[in-house]
Amino acid sequence: MGRILDRPLTRQLIAFAILVAFWEYAARAGWVNPLYVPAPSKIGAALVTLFASGSIWPHLGATFAAALGGLALGLAVGVILGAAAAMLPIIAELLQPLMILLNAVPRVVLAPLFVIWLGIGIAAKVALSFILVAVLVFFTVFTGIRQVDRRLVERVVTLGGGRATLLREVYMPSVMAWVLGNLKVAVGFAFTGAVVGEFVAATKGLGYLLSFAQSTYNAALMLALVLLIMVFVLLIFALSEQLERRLLRWRGDQT
Amino acid sequence: MLRVSELALSYGANPVLEGVSLEVEEGECVSLVGPSGSGKSTVLRAVIGLQAPAAGKVALNIDRSEIGFLFQDDALLPWRGAAENVALGLRLRGMPRASALARAEEWLARVGLEGLGERFPRELSGGQRKRVALAQVLALEPKLLLMDEPFSALDAITRARLSQDLLRFIEARRMSVLLVTHDLEEALAFSDVVYLLSRGPKARIAGQYPVPIPRPRDVIKARTHPQFGPLLERIWQNLQHEVVGKTEAKEEALWGEFSTGL
Repeated sequence: MGRILDRPLTRQLIAFAILVAFWEYAARAGWVNPLYVPAPSKIGAALVTLFASGSIWPHLGATFAAALGGLALGLAVGVILGAAAAMLPIIAELLQPLMILLNAVPRVVLAPLFVIWLGIGIAAKVALSFILVAVLVFFTVFTGIRQVDRRLVERVVTLGGGRATLLREVYMPSVMAWVLGNLKVAVGFAFTGAVVGEFVAATKGLGYLLSFAQSTYNAALMLALVLLIMVFVLLIFALSEQLERRLLRWRGDQT
Repeated sequence: MLRVSELALSYGANPVLEGVSLEVEEGECVSLVGPSGSGKSTVLRAVIGLQAPAAGKVALNIDRSEIGFLFQDDALLPWRGAAENVALGLRLRGMPRASALARAEEWLARVGLEGLGERFPRELSGGQRKRVALAQVLALEPKLLLMDEPFSALDAITRARLSQDLLRFIEARRMSVLLVTHDLEEALAFSDVVYLLSRGPKARIAGQYPVPIPRPRDVIKARTHPQFGPLLERIWQNLQHEVVGKTEAKEEALWGEFSTGL
């Protein structure tokens, strides 16, 4: 018995169970207003209803499409612009002020603007998700290439390597390591962009449901949605971690 | 093999070398010693073409691709296994991947790393990484080997073993060598001629000393040769005169780097 308690995970689960039980009791006993803080069982019931009625699927689909679309576009554009800026000084000169500006402001403030430009369809959400990811990836790739180990470059040159070899053997693996190291942050950003975009103006999506729950004072639905988003993002985190571990095997277990 | 004449070089506005001349004959081992910061490494970098000289000439009777360069650190491509790292140079010379890898494994065995070809650099010790770097350079069978303080980061035992292995190899293949080191004993044990570089900036050759110890040599036993001690003493004296004599106050800082005594 004592040995099971030695594991941190066991202790965390027990603490969590106690917290949920206390919360449930507090809600049922009327210590908190169930309108604001619904019992965990009510949140669970809201979740079950969402899935049982099947009404959640189009919303999940919309959010995932927007987030993954923004992620893919943001990665592609961020890598291309970051690489171009790192290798061609003129591009860096032109892009840097814009990137620094975009990096300095909280990019979600652009959400209403995208609604005006792109309407309340998926395009505005993809755009917000994209801009969040692209700026992050741009800086990652830009600094990644700038900070490539000079010694490795010289090594490959003295072994007889030219530009193509340097790109393939030194620059691409370095940049890949940087991008993969930031993949989790990028995924988080992509979902932030999608959900915030939907929150501002949309006809479907998890963000739209959240905004709907807010307008109807449905705290149970809101908490159920927050829980749902957490679960999906954690799932994608786990996937990125697997990918990172496989592709960065040479780096070993360093976190 | 290699003739450097009146080489001058500066980093930006800072002159580093001024009128450095030295020669490496076919099958000869030559060392370049001097205080730290004098520009020893810069001479090597100019020879391989990593640094453009401001004046003077680097004449080679071989192609640059026939030069091997062993760096001071053991930086290998971290995302490539040991064998892949060794195979890289071979593949750049047009060898197909499979045969390059097979050749790489042979060379790893030759430097004492048999069966470790799959290991990533982080899974190897400092001494093992140095051996991989050595195999990487030797696998190309260079005619001229340039070495920039190749053993300075290793512990004494690893260093003695590795330099003995390397010396045996160099002698067997009659390879020409230009070794840069701040270790006078290492320079004497390895080479046929030791050149002394004066203190920078504007470093130049301050002395040239033939080493009359017969080959094949043993890096440890060479130190007991009757000529070894007197020669070491002489280079010391000249170093003192040439390099430190002018600025007594800085003596400590300059000499701290050299290993003393036997």
